[in-house]
Amino acid sequence: MKAKDLLLSHMPLAEHQVKELIQSYGVPVPQRLVLEGDESLPRRLPFPYPVVVKVSDPQILHKSEVGGVRLGIKNRAQLERTVSSMREDFPGKAVLIEVQEPPGVEAIVGLIYDSAFGSSIMLGMGGILTELYQDVTFRVTPIDESDAYEMISLLRGSRLFEGFRNFKANKSALASLLLAVSRLGEELGERIAQMDLNPVIVYEDRCVAVDAKLLLRERSAAL
Amino acid sequence: MKRTPSNLKALFDPRTVAVLGVSRDPSKIGHLVFRYMLDSEAKLFPVNPSASDILGHRCYPSLGSIPEDVDMAVLALPASATPQAVRECVNKGVKAIVCLASGFGETGSEGKRLEEEIKKILASAPPGRRPRFLGPNTLGVYVPRRRIETIFTSRERNPRPGPGGIAFISQSGATAVCIMEAAAAVGVGFSAFVGIGNKLDVDENELIDYFAADPETSTIIMYLESFKDGRAFLESCRRIVPQKPVIVLKAGRSESGAKAAALHTGSLAGSDRVVDGALAQARVFRAYDEEELVDLARALDHGRPFTGGRVAILTTAGGMGVIAADLLESQDKGVGLKLAPLSEEGKAKLRSILLPFASANNPVDVTANASNDHYAAALEVLESEPDLDAILCIMQFQSPFVDEHLMGIVTDWFHRGEKSIVVTSIGGELSQHALKTLTESGVPAYPSIWRGVRAISALHKRGVWASTNSKR
Repeated sequence: MKAKDLLLSHMPLAEHQVKELIQSYGVPVPQRLVLEGDESLPRRLPFPYPVVVKVSDPQILHKSEVGGVRLGIKNRAQLERTVSSMREDFPGKAVLIEVQEPPGVEAIVGLIYDSAFGSSIMLGMGGILTELYQDVTFRVTPIDESDAYEMISLLRGSRLFEGFRNFKANKSALASLLLAVSRLGEELGERIAQMDLNPVIVYEDRCVAVDAKLLLRERSAAL
Repeated sequence: MKRTPSNLKALFDPRTVAVLGVSRDPSKIGHLVFRYMLDSEAKLFPVNPSASDILGHRCYPSLGSIPEDVDMAVLALPASATPQAVRECVNKGVKAIVCLASGFGETGSEGKRLEEEIKKILASAPPGRRPRFLGPNTLGVYVPRRRIETIFTSRERNPRPGPGGIAFISQSGATAVCIMEAAAAVGVGFSAFVGIGNKLDVDENELIDYFAADPETSTIIMYLESFKDGRAFLESCRRIVPQKPVIVLKAGRSESGAKAAALHTGSLAGSDRVVDGALAQARVFRAYDEEELVDLARALDHGRPFTGGRVAILTTAGGMGVIAADLLESQDKGVGLKLAPLSEEGKAKLRSILLPFASANNPVDVTANASNDHYAAALEVLESEPDLDAILCIMQFQSPFVDEHLMGIVTDWFHRGEKSIVVTSIGGELSQHALKTLTESGVPAYPSIWRGVRAISALHKRGVWASTNSKR
């Protein structure tokens, strides 16, 4: 079943399905490979090492807390060991293999269904440290391009996008990502209680949503 | 979905008003409302089946016995008597009902049932003849220009504001009346006040559309605890804001913050950050307390928005210029604007006209020995500075050579000059009198440096917002 159809049937989404969904709206995500059931590894990965291996299941929201994320896998032998160990720990669950993206500036982009204003989009700085910095801003969807740039400019971390210590995070890439998430919120926001793209890593030439989580609104609340 | 707001006219400009539940007891709501309304030009019909007259006016036994059409019916009745009164209003073809009683949805299930009953009665009216219903649980309306007033707190204890350009829509009547009283004391006028109470029928969205079209209103302020339809509110604001500034004091900020924190977005949102973002997106100003609400309204109602962000300070006291400079320029503890460097020509001119120990740099300090003429001359120089957008006039009355003519000088430049001007004055009677005089002539004037700086910042924000209005 396609990710969008799952959402429309009020079915919870695993990470790889959330990524399929956001990718279809134009959000850049890491190259990935999903092994479902007892599917075996292909002879060659369609992308280079190092890679990340994650358990991908609608019931497991916070993967790292249960040991469901393995980073820095550098070769075939390591990958085979990791996949089988993951299957031992999480029998029957899908395994997601992704390109490991290099470090960059970490942002968070989210959607939330607000009781007064409906689907709203968030941008924050800091990745996992966002809740420490509280450097976030919200807008109601849909946003337009000038809203997207204004959101970036309102963050305390916006200097990273103007050039800071020989680094200049790509503002227009992040603005396009915001617009893509806004389109998703506009079309499907009534189904989505919350969505986190966290972190979104921003580089000088692009950005990418490395992790994605989505919580459905209750069937009675959503139309 | 788009309603024509014109049928709310009967709430603010009724030709005929019936007061149900009038009383001869001067302490009763039904007495006060009738007495206050006597000052208006509307024709009044007191209704009370057991009294023959009140304050020399003949009482009617029922609404139906009034020989003319009734635009507005004010219900000064207990909650339990309201449904029957609404039925009579429907039969009479009343255009607008103001329901002052509490004891409805805000108190529990019996009150909610009463509200449902009233809704049904209103809906039973023939199309096009359905009365509009304000409240319940409201202080109703106040229109200073026409002395239309249903506020039933004592006028003697709580003086009302005079006419002005600010319309005030409030979810809490008592709060708004206090805020208006304080504003009136410093010379701020209002076009109208309306308390929305429990929003049974008329809500903030419809009222904001009404005031958008009201020629007597130039600025709209709101006290809200909830949004009836947030999306519709934003859409109305987007339409209105290019013409009239809207300022919202939204209280109840921490309310649902604890809810729905499973993901980061939820825990970061609370409910308030979304409100913050949504209002900014619609270019609505947000105030965080009652003082800021009226301060911003005063600045935006008459002040000149600007985009450049280059400010000059003109002061009679050096230290105040330094405090103001900090507040203007600091990102953390201020508003992040820029003090404009003055042109060489401007500085030379200032040096030639000011006292020898005055400062010809920005902040321009004319000193506590300056005269009206010094201040006026310095202001004239600043007005002709090419790279300057706004002037903060710090006006103290320490010098024996300044007097109330200073106010006329500043007011004159405010109206005919090209820079945005905001005044501050700190002190006792003299300052307060000066501020009130300035406020009454439309000049934004405040009793603290910070409040003046904040007003400058609001005018800058409005200028920037106007220049970056998105196409939506």
